[in-house]
Amino acid sequence: MGGFWFRWRRPLITVLAVAVLAVSFSYTAEVRGRVVALSNLVSTVVSPASSSLTYIGRQANVAVSTVGQLFTLQRQNRELKQKLLLYQSMKLELSEVLATNGRLRGLLGLQKRLAGWKLTPASIIGRNPNNWFSTVTIDRGTSSGVRSGMAVIVPQGVVGRVIAASSSSATVMLILDPNSGVGAMDTRSQAAGVLLGQNPITGQLKFQLFSHRPNLSPGDAIVTSGFSQYYPKGLLLGQVTKVAHVQFGLTEVATVQPSVDFNSLQTVMVVLSHPAGTSTPPIYGGGRS
Amino acid sequence: MWQFRPFTWVLLYVFGILIQTALLPQIFPIGYVPNVVLSVTVLIALFETPGRGMAAGFIGGMMQDVWAGRMLGLDALTFALLGWAVGYLQTKIARDPVFVPGLVAGLSQVVVVPFQWILLNVAGYHLPWLTFVKPLPVWILFSMFFTPGLGGVLGFRSRRELDGRRSLSM
Repeated sequence: MGGFWFRWRRPLITVLAVAVLAVSFSYTAEVRGRVVALSNLVSTVVSPASSSLTYIGRQANVAVSTVGQLFTLQRQNRELKQKLLLYQSMKLELSEVLATNGRLRGLLGLQKRLAGWKLTPASIIGRNPNNWFSTVTIDRGTSSGVRSGMAVIVPQGVVGRVIAASSSSATVMLILDPNSGVGAMDTRSQAAGVLLGQNPITGQLKFQLFSHRPNLSPGDAIVTSGFSQYYPKGLLLGQVTKVAHVQFGLTEVATVQPSVDFNSLQTVMVVLSHPAGTSTPPIYGGGRS
Repeated sequence: MWQFRPFTWVLLYVFGILIQTALLPQIFPIGYVPNVVLSVTVLIALFETPGRGMAAGFIGGMMQDVWAGRMLGLDALTFALLGWAVGYLQTKIARDPVFVPGLVAGLSQVVVVPFQWILLNVAGYHLPWLTFVKPLPVWILFSMFFTPGLGGVLGFRSRRELDGRRSLSM
């Protein structure tokens, strides 16, 4: 007897399994309360582990897909940042035009002149290895129309000017550089002078004034005077923080805080061309063209 | 051995200046970016003769000068002298992979900054002394940690040590 079961065990187990499955299929083909409840119980028991694994899987999926999209996102982000900068600049220019409309020749004429400005965005790809000089390298060169002497700006104000350009990159001397000198004027008193770069570590600029009693006070906005061959008139440079008499009180020197945060500088605009004799009004303080 | 070849030095300096101009400005504010060329010069010169240390320093300094595009020779002179000094010093002191490179690099910063201040003043850049030395603590600390770290990664050894190993293996 035992020999029979042992001999036919595999076919018997197969038949039994098929029978159990057939019964199970026929019973659970339709919704049965107890079966669903059992399933639910199992689900409840394993739900912490299940949800943990799902979370890990989702995160892994997100990570993998993020890595896959990284380069696309990076490119899109760069493009969007450049567009944003451009739009901010345009918005700023527009608001400046509106604010100075009463003092200038009229909104329409000024808008036309501002529309004539040709700017190109560029990213900063390197800084000067020497801390005593403040120059940066941008990723646009002569192939993009960038030439030596062109002004470099951001919506917050003047960054510097191009001092050398190759086909694919250019070197920009920041206004912080000890060799930098920008023709500047106070928007309130119209006092003119030269804004000199100092030690870049201080992050401050020195405003050497031409006149004897220039009537400068802290808080005044300093803009480009247009006397320089490089910078168009009316671009914001910074704000006066301190005024001091030097050289036996013959001249005045002011300390100016640049309007641009040079530490967070990543994208800039190179002024390729602007209509001759025109200017942008300063961001605050008012200016005259 | 690769570490003694001038071509290796050039590669190290290129790598160092790239870090200094592209990576470190993301971390340090403007004017406070530490000098990696100094660390590389100290590392090379610590395992070289004074003459070769000076040559290495000159190459690194000149590369930085060319990269900076201003006052060509400022760093070449500074680092050539530094390379010579460190090369001379290493014959007089015991050498270990951590403390000596760190201390020598920190000390080098203390010496290099006033030296460059004098050179810049001679050249007509009258920069205020107090603001000039303001970032010095940051640079000293950076050099003291970065130089031994870089030395550990590069695995520089002295000629004597390498010759000893070679004779043992033979």
